[in-house]
Amino acid sequence: MKKYLLFVFGVWIMIVALKGDDETKFRIPKNWPKPVYEFNKNPLNKDKILLGRALFYDPVLSADSTISCTSCHLQYTAFTHVDHTLSHGINGRIGTRNAPALTNMAWGTLFMWDGAVNHLDMQPLAPISHPDEMGSNIDTVLFRLRRSSIYPSLFYKAFKDSAITGEHFLKAMSQFMLTIVSSNAKYDQVMRKEKGIAFTSQEANGYRLFRTYCESCHKEPLFTINDFRNNGLSVDTTLNDYGRIKITHDSKDSLCFKVPSLRNVEFSYPYMHDGRFATLQQVINHYTTSIQHSATLSPLLDKPIFLTANEKVDMVAFLLTLTDKEFLFNRAYSFPKEIFMSAPKE
Amino acid sequence: MYRYITVVILSMICTHNSSAQNVVPVIFRNVWGNTPLQLDSSLHTNQDTNISTINNLKYYVSGITLLHNSDVVFSEPSSVHLIDARMPSSCTVMLNLPKDVFYNRISFNLGIDSITNVSGAMGGDLDPTKGMYWTWQSGYINYKLEGKSNACKTRNNEFHFHLGGYSYPFASIQKIVLNLERTDSIVIIADVSTFVKQIDLANENSVMIPSEQAMKLSRLAASIFSIQK
Repeated sequence: MKKYLLFVFGVWIMIVALKGDDETKFRIPKNWPKPVYEFNKNPLNKDKILLGRALFYDPVLSADSTISCTSCHLQYTAFTHVDHTLSHGINGRIGTRNAPALTNMAWGTLFMWDGAVNHLDMQPLAPISHPDEMGSNIDTVLFRLRRSSIYPSLFYKAFKDSAITGEHFLKAMSQFMLTIVSSNAKYDQVMRKEKGIAFTSQEANGYRLFRTYCESCHKEPLFTINDFRNNGLSVDTTLNDYGRIKITHDSKDSLCFKVPSLRNVEFSYPYMHDGRFATLQQVINHYTTSIQHSATLSPLLDKPIFLTANEKVDMVAFLLTLTDKEFLFNRAYSFPKEIFMSAPKE
Repeated sequence: MYRYITVVILSMICTHNSSAQNVVPVIFRNVWGNTPLQLDSSLHTNQDTNISTINNLKYYVSGITLLHNSDVVFSEPSSVHLIDARMPSSCTVMLNLPKDVFYNRISFNLGIDSITNVSGAMGGDLDPTKGMYWTWQSGYINYKLEGKSNACKTRNNEFHFHLGGYSYPFASIQKIVLNLERTDSIVIIADVSTFVKQIDLANENSVMIPSEQAMKLSRLAASIFSIQK
């Protein structure tokens, strides 16, 4: 009997020891919904996150090694590409859409402006393969990673497997992207009733207006419903982009695009899927004066929205409270110098 | 690590019980009419004078199930197999059956189900490096046939059929049920010539998105499977 107990104890010790597998817990901000991503299928681990972060910053992903994820998703501008209406890739090729800001992807359901990508894991395949973005393919990328002087050991450290597979590559990329969470803007601090933090009267009025006119699509706390809507933009006849219908072939999705999160919207200009608006003022003016009515227009925009000049200013003041400086300058998301500097170039 | 331990324990159990197991091979024989399919070589269809070449044939077989009349008597666990005509070893699937299972029909899917399609990155035959995953729009390619035919007035006379799509109205996965003549080994014939012959290659030579056309061709692709007599 004693022997048996000893054995059970030994097994228990072993399990506890192995469990210490340096798993990193994903922290859900207070009062936020449950993430969509199934972490049990890809449990966070600091080595995998670091590997994903290295890949995010590495132009080896593109055909001519000039473009990395960060080329269009720059941390300091809310992980998007400012100043360009449409994003550009290798050889100066211009795409047809504005790179979206990346934030809170653990809560994302469908990705891309038209929801073409059904899972965060699969997202990197699209820009890697698109001829106007990275113009490469996953086989070429993995071939290069296997030959590199840094990645075989990073993959081994992360997955305890020196074979660099597509699955591990994509899961590592997801791990880094999942950690990109913005939840400490002034708005959040006000909501958490942090000491000494309060909206100004302008911001408070803007928030009230926001809740009246914008909330139903840009739902708090993520500031998106992660769904697709026609927000009354006129069709740009140089692009003829009808959005989600291309994926679903369903006429009710014509002119519907993903509702973007408004977090860090101060920095994610230009706005809309084609980057047609350079300022928040222009965006608000679109909603008040230039809604195009069509069969698929979001019913909430059917009725005209009237805002005075002062109310528009207040609305912008509120939107600026969604700026999360800690997020924009979080070292955990930035270029992993330690990896690229310590290794000899291949 | 848990997984590792589980695998070790499971494999111990499996080895232990091997005497009570019955291994049945399921062989997918890709043929062109009466002869084994030769990739990259000239093939004739007896219907016309066109010469075709098949350069690439890959398809997913999933959810292999054995039935006795209409009762399911065995379902292969995590059943996904990429059959690649270029890799003969990929064309045989070993089923580990418990002893004393009686069956007279086999059922399997041509393609990948919708749940798997939305489950993120996976390894093995489902690894997106297998050339069977779309990048511009998420989803597995269920059936891929590429080749040349002088009927095609395309660049290099090429034709490309990448059949897939997992959501309504273009869910292209096909369930195939075949009656078995013998049960010690199961040989499934896939006659590619019947597929190619029924397509008007002059007008239909490039299908690479989920669509009504992909649905039609997926049904056609499913119809070429039969049990070797």
